[in-house]
Amino acid sequence: MADPDLVDFAVDYARQKGATYAEARYEHQVNEQFILKNSVLDALYFGEDTGIGVRVLANGGLGFAATNSMAKADVKVIVEDAVRLAKAARRKDPIIFAPEEAVVTNWSIPQAKALSDVPVEDKIEEITHIDRELVDLKFKMPARYFQQGNKQIEKYFANSEGSRIKSFSPRVRLFYFLTMAHNGNVEQTSQNYGWSGGWEAIREVDMLRRTVEEAKSMQNSLKHGKKSPEGKMDLVVGPQVSGIAAHESCGHPTEADRVLGREAAQAGKSFITPASIGQRVGSPVVTVCDDPTVEHAIAFYAYDDEGVKARRRYMYKEGIINEFLQNRETAAILGTRSNGAARATTYSVEAIVRMANTFVEPRDWGVDEMIEGVKFGVYMKSFMEWNIDDKRYNGKYVGREAYLIEDGKVTSPVRKTVIELTTPTFWGAVDAVGKDLEIHHAGFCGKSDPGQALDAALGGPTMRLRNVYLR
Amino acid sequence: MEDYAERIVDRAVDLGCQDAVADVSVNRSYQIRFAQNQIVISNQWRETSASVFLVYDKRVVASDIKDLTKLDAAMEGLVKVAKASQENPEYAGIAKGPFKYDRLSFDKRIVDLADGSDHVQAAVNGALEEGARECAGSFWKYDEEHYLRTSNGVKGYDHRASLYLSIRALVSLESSGHGIACATRLSKFDPAKAGHKAGKIAALAKNPVSGEAGRYDVVFDPLILGSLIDQIGGRADAWSVMAGLSPLAKRLGKRVASEAVTITDDGSAESIGRRRFDAEGVPVRRKAIVQKGILKTYLHNTSTAKKFKTRTTGNAGLIAPEPHVLFCKPGDWTRDEIFEECKDGLWLTNTWYTRYQSYVTGDFSTIPRDGIFRIKKGEVVGAWKDIRLTDNLIGLWRNVVGLSKNVDQVQWWGEVSVPTFAPYALARKVGITRSAE
Repeated sequence: MADPDLVDFAVDYARQKGATYAEARYEHQVNEQFILKNSVLDALYFGEDTGIGVRVLANGGLGFAATNSMAKADVKVIVEDAVRLAKAARRKDPIIFAPEEAVVTNWSIPQAKALSDVPVEDKIEEITHIDRELVDLKFKMPARYFQQGNKQIEKYFANSEGSRIKSFSPRVRLFYFLTMAHNGNVEQTSQNYGWSGGWEAIREVDMLRRTVEEAKSMQNSLKHGKKSPEGKMDLVVGPQVSGIAAHESCGHPTEADRVLGREAAQAGKSFITPASIGQRVGSPVVTVCDDPTVEHAIAFYAYDDEGVKARRRYMYKEGIINEFLQNRETAAILGTRSNGAARATTYSVEAIVRMANTFVEPRDWGVDEMIEGVKFGVYMKSFMEWNIDDKRYNGKYVGREAYLIEDGKVTSPVRKTVIELTTPTFWGAVDAVGKDLEIHHAGFCGKSDPGQALDAALGGPTMRLRNVYLR
Repeated sequence: MEDYAERIVDRAVDLGCQDAVADVSVNRSYQIRFAQNQIVISNQWRETSASVFLVYDKRVVASDIKDLTKLDAAMEGLVKVAKASQENPEYAGIAKGPFKYDRLSFDKRIVDLADGSDHVQAAVNGALEEGARECAGSFWKYDEEHYLRTSNGVKGYDHRASLYLSIRALVSLESSGHGIACATRLSKFDPAKAGHKAGKIAALAKNPVSGEAGRYDVVFDPLILGSLIDQIGGRADAWSVMAGLSPLAKRLGKRVASEAVTITDDGSAESIGRRRFDAEGVPVRRKAIVQKGILKTYLHNTSTAKKFKTRTTGNAGLIAPEPHVLFCKPGDWTRDEIFEECKDGLWLTNTWYTRYQSYVTGDFSTIPRDGIFRIKKGEVVGAWKDIRLTDNLIGLWRNVVGLSKNVDQVQWWGEVSVPTFAPYALARKVGITRSAE
């Protein structure tokens, strides 16, 4: 950990130089990545990223500067940069931050088996073992690509209001990309699982089982998959699909900075405006929340990167647009308080409004119950291709693992089922939400400039949609 | 900084490594982000770090060392990690130097630029003059020095400086346009032109109606064509081909685009991505990826080249090969002729969120954003919204029938990942889908 005095010095010095508010965030990230391609360990990446970022308000403008030098003279220079840049903004309306109490705390995520105690050989063995199990299935897999990543993030945050927060977040990920061929047809899958904590992740997330099951489902789809039916029908979506829909068509459009146009040139705006609060966007069984405090979900945190305590946010509540994700800047504009959504990927970028662990709040349905209630439809467990427009209104999800439902029973696999619906049509068709919350699907959520690809959990429960058009 | 690079390589060799590369970079880049016609934040970076690549008994380790005051300890740690790793039997070494590099100069006026707010204002004013109400975007001053050393005799220095501005202009949520300005000379930087372009498209895109699914002839503006060029150049690296992440796999020597299409990679040509060498120190050079529609080469480093029984193309990245700057060779049509030839179709100006159902087949979709226009008999007859381009990458490029004489240099957030020179293009029978009722 850096000398906390240096971080505190940056804050004090910024105030001396004329900042009305100042914060400094030190980070030390240990990052290791094991890259296995077609059974060959292509490379191992090991990096330690250390530095300090300073953000200030001065003359109504916002300035940020960062360095990876821990020398006091260099920190002084970036403080001066940040203050100078803030003053140069010459804004008509000054930026202000919503008020917050000062917080002094120290939080960390427990590790049953510390990442730093696990030998490199064991980490490599984990992915090579999964790869060997796949090869032993004797399926035709012309390309297999795995990436196992471990991150340990130490932070120290200080601001001019008296907050002093230390934290430690270890994170584990497994990404795989498989290509399977059979009789001239090809199927591909891309999956990403994540865990906040130690090496127990391998056991808890059960990565070997998931990978092998997926490979078997790909083979089944290639050998027996039919063309997916076209027309209006019922649809049951698994946790991975409900998770991506929650992220793309609820989490993103309720990011307050997007609503206010701050991301308009990159990640886009939103079909939701401040006047949309209270309007219906889904059926009454749809409650979508974002919760950084879900234990061991990939984006767990106790305090955000502005020192605000994390809590569960209900963006869609019983089908109604209820709440935006806020940082202190957006909250001040909208006349509310931050709900702790400010995050940055590293010390070298500003914290902006981000999702953490976004999911449909589970209800009381069993998966079998939902399927039994379908006369004819599709059960889409996972997807491959997906996208959504920049106002977050037109989403598309194309099935990877999907099955026909006939007379309440799952029958043959179907290939490439296409869901292409508007956000209100999708959420308005939901009539049942399962109790099977699955939170370990983990993505990288992209936003901001420079781009910040940030850990985000994309899981959820199974859901049933009635009478939607599929092709 | 040269000393740091030397020390890293020397230390790696002392510790038993067969190959080592160190790229010490000094980054002094500066950025302004703006939204709602005002500056929202300005950023300054002052960073010195080293990208390191080392090989111990065919065990490959890559790293970024941020704390150069602890180089020796960092190198010992990396070699320890390498010893615990596994052999990569496909590893075939790094390029043997020394090399001679082109003499490149940078514009000192760019390096000395301390305040970019006038450039932001020029872009915003340009858009507002065209009728836009709201502008957002980024201005960048890139200023980076690179000191490269390898254990195979390479010594290189490169100072890269450029300016970039991206502006999105909006008349309303669904009526918007995008403009880009790029330059390596301050005198050539024209943010006002980018603002005018964004504003004009936004004003023209007023009152869009929901589009209809079907197959249409499409005029691609340079920015969206840049995204489609990126899908070729960015998936032409041999690593992606081997990993199953490229529709160009097994297509060397085969037709992947119409005869009108030639796409090259050239890091040595004048552009904001210009450089002297790749990550192994190999001088960058021009090479055709696609020539008259035929796939000619993948992009290689020394190792992938050996596996594919060819020579490096000078596209090494830290681990995998990568494109530097992409060029789509201009055609012989004027912009007006491109539009005139579109009798009943669309003009798309930008896109985002390009995703594949299968990288092997190239089946993908992408979502047009900003101005989407209905074209009849070469004229804009209205604006559309809420459509998706759903097609096959190879099929789409095979259906390109015309390219304009003039090209724009574009690069854009997420979609056009490297600087790309793109003309206007006309493609036949492009698949368009939309959300179901």
